[in-house]
Amino acid sequence: MIGEIVKQLIGLIVDDEFLAAGVLAAVAVAGALAFLGISPTWLAGLMLTLALPAALAFSVLRSVWRARRPNRRG
Amino acid sequence: MSNLTTIISVAAASFAASFVEAVEALTIVLAIGLTRGWRPALTGAAAALAALALIVAALGPLVGRVPIRALQGVVGVLLLLFGLRWLRKAILRSIGIVALHDEDAAFARETRELSEAARRQATGVDWIAAAAAFKAVLLEGIEVVFIVIAVGAARGLVWLASGGALAACAAVAAIGAAIHRPLASVPENALKFVVGVMLSAFGLFWTGESLGVEWPGGDAAILAFAAMFLVVAAALVALLKPKAPAPA
Repeated sequence: MIGEIVKQLIGLIVDDEFLAAGVLAAVAVAGALAFLGISPTWLAGLMLTLALPAALAFSVLRSVWRARRPNRRG
Repeated sequence: MSNLTTIISVAAASFAASFVEAVEALTIVLAIGLTRGWRPALTGAAAALAALALIVAALGPLVGRVPIRALQGVVGVLLLLFGLRWLRKAILRSIGIVALHDEDAAFARETRELSEAARRQATGVDWIAAAAAFKAVLLEGIEVVFIVIAVGAARGLVWLASGGALAACAAVAAIGAAIHRPLASVPENALKFVVGVMLSAFGLFWTGESLGVEWPGGDAAILAFAAMFLVVAAALVALLKPKAPAPA
């Protein structure tokens, strides 16, 4: 039962690996921009504001495309 | 000092998210109580609440010791993962890719499984039923604890978020005790849609703050982010929902 509970707890935050990877990549890039002084912090904020909805949209579109893809085995 | 926008947002997000989780836990506890008796159902639920109290007692003091910027960063990223996951699933349910969560169906499934288990185990203490109630309340309760810490801790409003969560759990428990039926008429997907939008907005705001971003408008930016996620989600639903065939 403990293994099942742990598995479900991980499932609370990771459902679609593509979305989770997109979120972490966006935060990592914004963090690098902010902490390495490559750009002003507002640019890191703008990057997050654009990248996160984009990651959500791509994840949804990918799921819809996979669900509606015709079965090749017919 | 938190302004009114933050206070209302924290209380509303905590209440709505906890309401959804409490409805899911209630469905399983009701199924156990009605098929296997209230003693194992309530024993399992009470044991889970005690375990949750221990978790909160252990984690609560630790949260206060973490530097605020690190706390905002960790909580922000977890909220983004959690909130966008909820929002994605609500969008996919709205466009028919994922089946809507049906409390009546969940209740029937749980009842059937427990009845089969009861036939196999005719005598003795009903550990199966108690364990099922324990697991359901513990898992949904951990989600509630996470939401309370996530939306409240970064602004020192854990007490407010806890109040919202307790009010939601008390409301669901009172309704469940009164009607003895799963709360199937609760618009669960609409609630999950709103909660996903709110948690994602908090996540974006606090992740940015942890990176040193000074959001225009201060805390009011949370509402702007919520509006942005809502527009994106609504646009995806409108774009991807299958069109009803025109009448012949």
